[in-house]
Amino acid sequence: MRTLRMYFLLYGAALRGQTQYRGNFVMMMFAGLAYQGVGLAFIWVLVGRFGGIAGWTLGQVAFLYGIRLTAHGLVTVPCAQIFSVDQILREGDFDRYLVRPVNPLVQVLTGSLSLQVFSDLLGGLIALGAAMSTVRIDWSAGALAFLVLAIVGGAMVELAIVLAFASLSFRLLSVRSLILLSLTTMQNFGNYPIAVFPAALRFVFTFLFPLAFIAYLPSTVLLHRTGELSVSPVLAWGAPLVGVLLFAAAYRLWVRQSRHYASSGH
Amino acid sequence: MSAARRRITGAYECARIQTLIAFTYRTDYLFNLVGLLLQVYLLRVVWTSVYGHRVSVAGVTLPTQIAYATLGTLQYWLFNPWGFSMIPERVRTGKIGVDLVRPVPFLHQIVSSQIGLTVGLAPFALVALPFAVLLGRAAGPASTGAGAVYLLSLVFGYLLTILLASIVGMMSFWTTEVSGTFMMYRMVSQFFSGALVPLWFMPGWLADLTHVLPFQATTYSPLAIYLGRVHGGALVTTLAVQVLWIGLAWLALRLTWARALHRVVVQGG
Amino acid sequence: MAPLITVENLAKEFRRPKRHTGTFGGIRTMFTRQYTVSRAVRDVTFEVAEGELVGYLGPNGAGKSTTIKMLTGILVPTSGTVEVAGTVPWRDRERNARNIGVVFGQRSQLWWDLPLRESLRLIGKMYDFSREKYHANVERFTELLDMAEFLDTPVRQLSLGQRMRGDLAAAMIYEPRVIYLDEPTVGLDVVAKERIRAFIEEENRDRGTTVILTTHDLDDVERLCRRIILIDHGTVLYDGDHAALRARYAPYRELVVTLADGATADIDLPGVEVTAAAAGSATLRFDPDRMSAADLIGAVLARHRVSDVAIVEPDLEGVIREIYAARSVRA
Repeated sequence: MRTLRMYFLLYGAALRGQTQYRGNFVMMMFAGLAYQGVGLAFIWVLVGRFGGIAGWTLGQVAFLYGIRLTAHGLVTVPCAQIFSVDQILREGDFDRYLVRPVNPLVQVLTGSLSLQVFSDLLGGLIALGAAMSTVRIDWSAGALAFLVLAIVGGAMVELAIVLAFASLSFRLLSVRSLILLSLTTMQNFGNYPIAVFPAALRFVFTFLFPLAFIAYLPSTVLLHRTGELSVSPVLAWGAPLVGVLLFAAAYRLWVRQSRHYASSGH
Repeated sequence: MSAARRRITGAYECARIQTLIAFTYRTDYLFNLVGLLLQVYLLRVVWTSVYGHRVSVAGVTLPTQIAYATLGTLQYWLFNPWGFSMIPERVRTGKIGVDLVRPVPFLHQIVSSQIGLTVGLAPFALVALPFAVLLGRAAGPASTGAGAVYLLSLVFGYLLTILLASIVGMMSFWTTEVSGTFMMYRMVSQFFSGALVPLWFMPGWLADLTHVLPFQATTYSPLAIYLGRVHGGALVTTLAVQVLWIGLAWLALRLTWARALHRVVVQGG
Repeated sequence: MAPLITVENLAKEFRRPKRHTGTFGGIRTMFTRQYTVSRAVRDVTFEVAEGELVGYLGPNGAGKSTTIKMLTGILVPTSGTVEVAGTVPWRDRERNARNIGVVFGQRSQLWWDLPLRESLRLIGKMYDFSREKYHANVERFTELLDMAEFLDTPVRQLSLGQRMRGDLAAAMIYEPRVIYLDEPTVGLDVVAKERIRAFIEEENRDRGTTVILTTHDLDDVERLCRRIILIDHGTVLYDGDHAALRARYAPYRELVVTLADGATADIDLPGVEVTAAAAGSATLRFDPDRMSAADLIGAVLARHRVSDVAIVEPDLEGVIREIYAARSVRA
């Protein structure tokens, strides 16, 4: 599809533009890993002292963590700019995008790149790899396929949430705080099995702010823990599909809201 | 106007400006606080869950642990709202030139500005406190005496935080691409300060390592005093360690600053 | 032949949430139901034929940029119609984009960290432009705009003049039918301005590219535009050519008289308006249809001791100032 071709073309350009900032790259990667690592370190100490969280062993929690972080990396590597949409709109770069025969969202996402985002993906894969060697999972072709689907689906859920909020910046002045709040919520609460939370919160994270679909629900399938769910296991098996649906809805919202664009100044 | 009086007025001005800036960004801070309260709530839920039916682990009861998590999170935020240190920004934007010319020594400016920012944030923290108590839980101090000493220890912890952050901030005199290092520092310092994990739950070797580093003196020490985990002789030792670290940090900062100044002169702004 | 650009009764209103001040003003603004309406463009109608070079002028806040943004598909009009090369810009944004090129004077369309050559290549690809024609154009523009020496320099390191040339090349490399230039010479030195103007003129003349030029630099307009559209308060004040503009709004010439021995002149002649007077000089405005310059000079010499005279034609700036002045009196 032409849009995809344009995306790769412009993403490549953004990458090439970053090569001169290579110097800081290694440090940034370490910093990114440290950032993600601190959360995991907390869980590690916790489980070490208490033997488990809601019945999940350290390996299992690390598995959940790995899925979430990899999914997050799958969002930040191609689409990190989505977190800065309101700034992009405010600085007037959007006009430039509207005048070109390319999807403006693609241009927004490829406008700039920070190499640091690769650390999320790397960290996620490391955690996932370490966890996979610890937990007892029968890695059949089907299980592996579901794992891949789960990660991609999780990425789509996160992207859908952020894209939906970003769409609001066409009408509202600043949604940056909202987006950051969503991000920290996903990063804090998303690392724990939702079974830990009280019923009301479980409901919120399943049906209002669909955090559960990012990593928890698919994990229960792969870890054979669907029994602990307070919702139907169908939702867990269908998590990737939910991701696709949510993303489609968020994209439609974006397109509709972009019609309200009132470019400011020059 | 005597030099000392000028310094004090100047320092006060630096502080005042930062307080105003904090107020300007109040919407951002409010959202930030919501995230903070959510984190407090999360921690309470997690601690409750892992404790399960146990009454006390490593000699710490659940209410004490939750109080620690609640107060610790709020306290850490107050000391390190976000951003990191004013120094890198000022070096990068060139404002440092103006700072160096002011009739207040640079280091005093940095400290005053940081204090001003904290003063500006204090109202937010106070507003958040009842919510934090609601969402988390907090206990009163172990005793009135503990409460009083806690305040003193809090001041020490705060000073140490600023000093350490400023030392790392000095790096921006040597290189412009510092954000990676800062983030690293922030994460390491946060973990070892005890803001997330109290020292009493860390495995032995980790706890030993933490004791050796200055960070635990910023967040853990005051809280341990507040909760009555240290008292009597240990309390005095804790305070003394804090003061010792402050002294060392101040020395290190002065040394780094002298070298940085030398470098600025050599580079010619 | 049908016009390339048709604009009819175009209007654009901006409804912004009323900004509340005071405590929690920010939050109240987010939830407010009150709006302030500003009508940037009220009723604009004009047509542009293919190959024209039009100056689109107006004071700040007149509605210029808003009109251009509706023409380029950035904004959706509140009412009225706009059509460019058979396409409605806001409805078929991408199709319209292929026909146009835009240069925003204030901000660049180039990739900051990449060499200029790379930006041009990327743009060629974005427009699916034929490779042979692309290479031919790169060569041609490099020569016309004298870009050879900085074609491989990162855009970030270019001077303003070099960057503007790069932006111009980028806007035209894929041969759009219409280009919109917004302040293309702002901040440039005299030589650079002339080079850019020469280039625009040549592309318009040789390639038949339609040009809509928005600028505050009236030298640009004098040099390039046969036709001027003047807009203020969201409506068109004037639409026509240069000479007619002057004839309509500034049908006068001025005689600057320097008086001997610095006397203050008390010049009172029928049909003559003294527009400026200072010690030793006076500026007299007269209608060249009613009175010839020679006659006026004669009349002045007869009555006063004159050491020097000069005839001044109203320049475009003066004309436009007159128009704005008359408009604000009327409004």
